[in-house]
Amino acid sequence: MSDSDTALREDFLVLENVEQHFDLGRALLTRESKGVVKAVDGISLTIREGEILGIVGESGCGKTTLSRTIMQLIRPTSGRIFLEGKELSALSDADIRAERINFQMIFQDPYASLNPRLTVFTTISEAIRTRHPDVRGEALRGRVIELLRTVGLNPAQMNRYPHEFSGGQRQRVAIARALAPEPKLVIADEPVSALDVSIQSQILNLLKRLSREMGLTMIFVSHDLSVVRYIADRIAVMYRGRIIELGRAETIVDDPRHIYTKALMSAIPQPDPRAERTRERILLEDEPPGADKSPGKDVEDDLEEVTPGHLVSTRPFERRVKEAEAPAQ
Amino acid sequence: MSRSADIVAGAEQRLAAAPVPEEFEKGTSLWEDAWHRLQRNRLAMISLFVFSAIVLFCVIGPFLSPYDAEAQDLLKGAQGPSAEHWFGTDTLGRDLMVRTMEGGRISLLVGLIATLVALAIGVVYGATAGYLGGKVDATMMRIVDTLYALPFTIFVILLMVAFGRSLWLIFVAIGAVEWLSMARIVRAGVIGLKKQEFVEAAVSLGYSHTRIIVRHLIPNVLGPVIVIATLTVPAVMLLEAFLSFLGLGVQPPNASWGVLINEGQQNMEIFPWLLMFPAFFFALTLFTLNFLGDGLRDALDPKSAKD
Ligand SMILES: Nc1ncnc2c1ncn2[C@@H]1O[C@H](COP(=O)(O)OP(=O)(O)OP(=O)(O)O)[C@@H](O)[C@H]1O
Ligand SMILES: [Mg+2]
Repeated sequence: MSDSDTALREDFLVLENVEQHFDLGRALLTRESKGVVKAVDGISLTIREGEILGIVGESGCGKTTLSRTIMQLIRPTSGRIFLEGKELSALSDADIRAERINFQMIFQDPYASLNPRLTVFTTISEAIRTRHPDVRGEALRGRVIELLRTVGLNPAQMNRYPHEFSGGQRQRVAIARALAPEPKLVIADEPVSALDVSIQSQILNLLKRLSREMGLTMIFVSHDLSVVRYIADRIAVMYRGRIIELGRAETIVDDPRHIYTKALMSAIPQPDPRAERTRERILLEDEPPGADKSPGKDVEDDLEEVTPGHLVSTRPFERRVKEAEAPAQ
Repeated sequence: MSRSADIVAGAEQRLAAAPVPEEFEKGTSLWEDAWHRLQRNRLAMISLFVFSAIVLFCVIGPFLSPYDAEAQDLLKGAQGPSAEHWFGTDTLGRDLMVRTMEGGRISLLVGLIATLVALAIGVVYGATAGYLGGKVDATMMRIVDTLYALPFTIFVILLMVAFGRSLWLIFVAIGAVEWLSMARIVRAGVIGLKKQEFVEAAVSLGYSHTRIIVRHLIPNVLGPVIVIATLTVPAVMLLEAFLSFLGLGVQPPNASWGVLINEGQQNMEIFPWLLMFPAFFFALTLFTLNFLGDGLRDALDPKSAKD
């Protein structure tokens, strides 16, 4: 990768100890604090230009909050976020607006992510004009048609409204909208989890192909490790607002070190029947309840490098193994 | 997965190689959908037709009538309906049909303009408060609550005392009260919408606040607002009639339906037609607008429809 003359930035996107804490306010009568949800609780990451970073973790671990924080849809409670060396988290709201075309998001629910009152053409053409405000008329139409083809939609249908498309088609529209401003970074937050299984692989393949062809840097978020390992170069495993394991996709899949990652891995059915029969199953105890059970802020960076590029959390993990099923004979 | 990938990639390449389509399909917007649904609602369509007929009757009628609404003919005072005066005449000998038409003009005008004023202020105000949220929202809604608590009649009397009587003041007074509920409805709608991903997508594209409010939020809360507006028109007309009963409404020789009804009920036993005709048109207008509002509600929000 480094042999090409267009050097890819190693520190394309940098997160430095990013936190997103939601203050739940005070109880109406007693004025007692209802506590704080530490949805993102100290995440540091460096993402290389052109790579696809997968983020996995169970529901509620803070994946969407992290995505929205990187997108500056909510400003981080603390920590810093740099895109190509520019600190996004320090920009004013007005300056952020001008930067936004460089990073786009594909949302989870294609039924909620498109304005129902606008045709596909309007949605896409307006998004194109965020970067090219002077393009209009035939030239604009040409670009919309090209973009729709790129994402596998029939341009003859561009005057239709979102409700006239299927879920998969809508997600393609949403992808086209995200690509329209020609961003450098795309965050896809569970882009296939709302879709039929048969459609999921089509959208995954589309995203994989687009990121390769356009040299996009992508953060791909999912609760499903089997989806993430298919598309990602590297995988970050998230648990309760923190990263507990990070490494190359093969490494995480073949050699998971953290018990939580192992449990996630063991839940994936194997396509090969023999492998499926010998699959180890690890079931963890339920998550302890409460918004803030994470064991305080002891060490800032608790990730330890076990092999080059493979980081595992060293902090104590509160969930015990409930059931470890030996591989069936 | 790779096999399906090939198939999809193949389809995408074929699509990419295809020439520019000659013909573009026409999409059906949600508004058109709603219109089609409304057309299937018999009662709403009849109401729409009757209401349009009343509006035409009041607007065009006076031009076609040989009589002037203010022309008195004391010799022909208080005559019942006849071939000459279809609706009869009032105690001053004025043709009641033209008076009913002219009264309708004023009542409808008050209803429509006050509703439009309420709509314009309420939508912009409510959408801004809901979208910006936080302290701005709290302050803006505190103002609404305070105005809500103000007794309407006293407010109108104060206005009249301060500025003297005029039709415009009635528009302003009624509009100023009705926008409060519009603002609340729009604000609630916008707060619900704001969390939707398409609004976040609009923010992500760097669109301005104004653009997000005008293009992405307001069109999506307009459905319930239109329904409320349709129901506000008759409410406003009733308010105007109420003001007329108090003697605070339209001044003679001008008359609204409210004024005519008020005059009519004073001689109800002897000259019943003086009450009957204006009351009939007034009631018909209120009914049709209410049926239309109900129909619009079902058409614009098919999920809430009863059937
Ligand atoms: N605006 C908010 N105010 C308060 N708490 C919030 C807010 N947004 C998210 N949270 C909380 O933060 C935690 C993380 O939520 P988040 O949506 O980021 O999880 P997720 O990993 O995306 O889950 P899922 O897989 O269900 O989408 C949850 O406990 C959630 O309730
Ligand atoms: Mg989520």
